[in-house]
Amino acid sequence: MLRTLAFLRLALLVLLVALPASAKETVKLAFIGPLTGGNSAIGLGGRNSADLAVKLRNADPKSKYQYELVVLDDECKPDTGVQVATKAGADKAIVAGITHYCSVVAVATVETFHRLGLPTIVWGAVLPDITYGHSYKEIHRVNGTMINQNETAAKLMLKQGFRRWVIIHDTTDYGKGHEKYFKQFATAGGGKILGSFGVTADQQDFTAELTQAKALNPEVIFFGGLTPIGVRIRAQMDKLGINAQFQGTSGIVNDDFIKALGPLAEGVVAFREGAPAEKLPGGKFFLEKYAEQKYPNPPEAYGPFAYAAATLLMDTIDKVGPDRKKILGALSGVKNVDSIVGPITFDDHGQNTVAAITAYVVQDGKWVVWEDSEYASGKRKLKGR
Amino acid sequence: MRPAQAGARAALSAAAIAAVAALLLYGFLAAESEKTVGLVLAGAVVVVAGGLRSKVLPRLVRAAGERAVMSALAIAAVALIGVFHDDPFVLLLMARALLVLVACLGLHVQLADAGVPNFAGAAFFGVGGYTAAVLGHGATPHLLVLLASGAVAAAVGSLLLLPLLRTRGHYAALITIAFGLLFRTFLEVNETLGGPQGLKLGGLRLLGLSFNDDREIHGVEISGYAFYCLAAVALALVAVWLVRSVESSWIGVALDAVRLDETAAACFGISIGRWKIAAFTLGNAIIGVAGGLSAMMVGFIAPNNFTFQESLVLVSILLLGGLGNLAGLAVAALIVIWLPEKLQPIQEYRYLLFSVLVVLVLVLRPAGLIRRIARRPFGSLAA
Amino acid sequence: MNGVMLGLMYALVALGFTLFFGVLDVVQFAHGDVLTAGAFVGLAAYAALLHAGVQAAVPQLIVVVLAATFSMAILGAVLGRVLVLPLKGAPALNTLLATLMGGTALRECIRLFYPGGSQPQRFPALLPTASWSMGRFNLRVDNLLMLLAGVVLVLGLSLLLRRTRLGLAIRAVAQDEETARTMGIDFRRVVLLTFAIGSALAAFAGVMNGLYYNEINFGSGLLLGVIGFSAAVLGGLGSFTGAVLGGFLFAGLQTLGAVVMPFASAYKDVFAFAVVILLMTWKPTGLIGEELGERV
Repeated sequence: MLRTLAFLRLALLVLLVALPASAKETVKLAFIGPLTGGNSAIGLGGRNSADLAVKLRNADPKSKYQYELVVLDDECKPDTGVQVATKAGADKAIVAGITHYCSVVAVATVETFHRLGLPTIVWGAVLPDITYGHSYKEIHRVNGTMINQNETAAKLMLKQGFRRWVIIHDTTDYGKGHEKYFKQFATAGGGKILGSFGVTADQQDFTAELTQAKALNPEVIFFGGLTPIGVRIRAQMDKLGINAQFQGTSGIVNDDFIKALGPLAEGVVAFREGAPAEKLPGGKFFLEKYAEQKYPNPPEAYGPFAYAAATLLMDTIDKVGPDRKKILGALSGVKNVDSIVGPITFDDHGQNTVAAITAYVVQDGKWVVWEDSEYASGKRKLKGR
Repeated sequence: MRPAQAGARAALSAAAIAAVAALLLYGFLAAESEKTVGLVLAGAVVVVAGGLRSKVLPRLVRAAGERAVMSALAIAAVALIGVFHDDPFVLLLMARALLVLVACLGLHVQLADAGVPNFAGAAFFGVGGYTAAVLGHGATPHLLVLLASGAVAAAVGSLLLLPLLRTRGHYAALITIAFGLLFRTFLEVNETLGGPQGLKLGGLRLLGLSFNDDREIHGVEISGYAFYCLAAVALALVAVWLVRSVESSWIGVALDAVRLDETAAACFGISIGRWKIAAFTLGNAIIGVAGGLSAMMVGFIAPNNFTFQESLVLVSILLLGGLGNLAGLAVAALIVIWLPEKLQPIQEYRYLLFSVLVVLVLVLRPAGLIRRIARRPFGSLAA
Repeated sequence: MNGVMLGLMYALVALGFTLFFGVLDVVQFAHGDVLTAGAFVGLAAYAALLHAGVQAAVPQLIVVVLAATFSMAILGAVLGRVLVLPLKGAPALNTLLATLMGGTALRECIRLFYPGGSQPQRFPALLPTASWSMGRFNLRVDNLLMLLAGVVLVLGLSLLLRRTRLGLAIRAVAQDEETARTMGIDFRRVVLLTFAIGSALAAFAGVMNGLYYNEINFGSGLLLGVIGFSAAVLGGLGSFTGAVLGGFLFAGLQTLGAVVMPFASAYKDVFAFAVVILLMTWKPTGLIGEELGERV
């Protein structure tokens, strides 16, 4: 009798210990990005990268939890973004989010995540206001902001000898932000902004703006906006016979831009935060593992950041458990944490400092790092040089 | 039947209807997997169709009387809010469905009662929202802000009155379509109202309570959205009461006359212009108030929320439910708002699905899924 | 130059609306989406040609245009048969709604089922891209060719309506359906042929749109449909000259708006639609109006 009882107690004890270990609790993470529409290539690249991070973690026997990625599409529209953000935040099973490439959307959802208490890490939006425009603890960001981007851009273009710009920007906060910061740095370095035109993010016809720009006779047309209208403006520039250099921002650094323009894309210059994937500290590892999964789309420019954000979240959850408040607390103390994009430190606004800014130029149908290109070595010339 | 007996019978019938509705709704909202959702849907279809076929449902409604059914449904709604008190997702769904219902009630007055087509319903919803956004930050008490949302929507609508009165049929429809497009483009280009970035709203604050905050009452956690839901239920009750009162009064008769045959109505001395203006303005006011509350609940408003596509969705709800039938309207609103949220595969295909459904309804069953109840002379509809 | 191109495109769409209205007293609101569908069929044809190894621009252009116009002619007839004719006796608003929804369904099908449909698609430049510069003016060969083609089409349609038997039948049905039927005109056939012709015109406008902007978008049909309808209404529904006039008038309004408010050219649409509403208030049945009599 006593032995049976003891045996039963032992069995129960073993069961109680074994069960949690064998049945890992599922923890849900939300991924939000533009999966449809003109920026979908980047959105899908980000999703695949976050998915990769989750897959690798789930395959790791040492991980405490089983992770599930809940993928939501914000369509690069602020209203849709707020809707899916509310959905993610209101779902108690989701404990953290990897959010947004489009700045327009990221800026709109800041309040939503704060209200619903969901800790998030931004993976691709560059508008400074997203982390600096408020003091909510919920919003963090692993990629850099457009301030550094435009500073480097101004320096490089001034060095090339350009002095006269016309700025065409979209009227969202993203485009307006680029206009503000680039104007600031370019004029500080001795350049002149001859004129500034705001266009809507889905505008089809730019004849009015481009005709006025042509009359101002600029050396460079600076474009602050995303791929869909970037493509149209570059194409219509050619139709109207404008012979200026085309300079863009992180919004056009993706393959869709080149595919849509064909030969017209040659010589276009653009800038973005972070080094190209191959040059990142964990870049080779990331690209290898990404290729193994055979995703239909490439990781694009911000894939590594999405991966890093997902990994950071999962590491934090492994440490403090799947509790939103605890995750928030842990994220605020992130200092010099290693990741494939380099050491991550969140400042008091949740912003990570990313030192590197890469300049790109389109050469023979591909985005090539400026320093490695024939334009930098002098073999080919930018427009008007 | 003696009054006491009749009263008891009415209460029981109303309770029965509300209980069945509440159960079905609860099942739908609480369902986790898509299979469960499908089962609940199938069950609902069986119950409703069976009730209609066997005449049990109409009999119950007639025994209960409209007032009782409305009150019972309202109580059921509050009960559901109580059950889901800490689930913001479900509460949000309920509130959204209710506010869309209110907006459609406004459209109902315009299209189903007076025959004035309005393809800019979403635009007026947006006007209400933007009014709430602009006034909400200031010192205006929020109850007044909501009323102002309705008033401004009605005022903006009055800009279209002259063109609408001068045109008929397709031409009148074009006026509202053009206005809807105009409105959205204007908002996107204009910086003062936030442009494409939109505007943020602080939450609703009534009676000293901030609706955005979660609350703890006697140890029970209640999500902020529960309060918005309660407000939406209250608004829906007011709107239904208003619309039904208008419909069962002499105003309703005049509107019917204007809708059915303008020439004959004019011959009888009914001022076509005056009644069309009244219906259009009242409808827009209702839509505007719903828009204001919705914007305060979501906390954000942007021009993209108010496209022509959204206006078409509102009109579709009206058509699917059957033009003129309020019960059908409510069911259609639920289907259109809740189904895509609960059945993920439908999310992507929802516009396609709705448009095909509406086309089928228009071609095969023009009276709608549930037909309009004809007005009985010398008695209210509820008798 | 830009304004003239747009005017021609709108005119082609407006002609479709006016034809349908003349023949059946209906507004076929899926017309704009038929335009987009035509452009996508053209694009698909181009992709197929590339796959088959055809590289030369001229056969590509011919096949694209033919594929677009023929497929849309069929689709237009189908829409007429399935959507519009069955609703013949119903209140006008029902047909408007049914075709609006049909258009939405078409649009969504393109978005969902065409590979990458939700993104703007690159439309190939199939016309020669030479251009002459005369001071501030930039005259491009491709624009000129499209303009000529469009004008030829409009004139061709006008000839069809005034000189052929089919045209006579169409005009007869437009004037008085009952008498036309009594006279032995096959009502159904005439209606379906009218739908086919109108839709083919829209498909051509769609290909023009694609060639001009080098891009097509699944959603562009909605706005173009509304603009085409406004143009037709401005000129007076049922009037051929009115439709052409309306098309150029709307384009002119847009250009005027862009010139008057250079700081935000997007206001031009707001301006144009506002003027349309005002014009309709002044002349409820269009500038070359319909005779609206009511039988009591």
